[in-house]
Amino acid sequence: MTLASFAFYSMAGLALISALLVVTLRNTVHSALFLGLSLAAVAGLYAALGADFLFAGQILVYVGGIAVLIMFVVMLLGRASDLHLRQVNNQWLAGLLVCAVSLTGLWRIIKVFSNVLAKAAPVPTTRPLGIFMMRDYALPFEIISLVLTAALLGAVFFSCAERDNPGAPQ
Amino acid sequence: MSAQISLAHYLTLGALLFLIGMFGALTRRNIIGILMSIELMFNAANINLAAFNHFLHPQGVAGQAVALFIIAVAAAEVVVGLALVLAIHRNTETVYVEEFSILKG
Repeated sequence: MTLASFAFYSMAGLALISALLVVTLRNTVHSALFLGLSLAAVAGLYAALGADFLFAGQILVYVGGIAVLIMFVVMLLGRASDLHLRQVNNQWLAGLLVCAVSLTGLWRIIKVFSNVLAKAAPVPTTRPLGIFMMRDYALPFEIISLVLTAALLGAVFFSCAERDNPGAPQ
Repeated sequence: MSAQISLAHYLTLGALLFLIGMFGALTRRNIIGILMSIELMFNAANINLAAFNHFLHPQGVAGQAVALFIIAVAAAEVVVGLALVLAIHRNTETVYVEEFSILKG
């Protein structure tokens, strides 16, 4: 087994097992912790694919930002009684059926690509990615900063809407 | 199973991660659990983009650029989503989606 396939199988196994634990565990705090582990394993897959900037961005934004943010909210809203309640609804069998049907459909597409191998070894892409962003994708790059600013304002608005107008209907 | 990792390996992993996330989004009662499942689905899409970039078009970086945009949009989505969850929790005192019936009037 080569180093590349060892990296792929270990990271893929870690990502899949922790993703399964995210959706099945009853304790939401444990789910949030396994979400961080799954996102870190996906970051390792980016590194195996030669996407070094995505690897760094995944660690910074997802593992360091989103997983921690979700953990904060879980701890803000969690109650001890949640541990004794069911965390899945009655439709899990139907959900499983939907996923199985989708998997058969996706598998037929995936089989088309089973002979595609990597043409070259992965090379660092941070510099070409920066040039690409500032030259070809300059407009989307600026728009995404606008989206992030709007999201920041929206989050602040939703967080203190009640404090601004105390007479709002409950 | 061939010894070398092909594109199909990565696509299978992406499909399985996406379906796990979809199963979680369909079946979790806790709205924070649903948000976590949606993050898993975003990650599955990003794996596919990075894998297509690496295997089919190794001289370009367009797939990785789109994956970066998805990461930024996912960050914005989770920030607004969690702020909404906090606002809803202030009014309804619950995190279970079947009790979120405040839009019924």
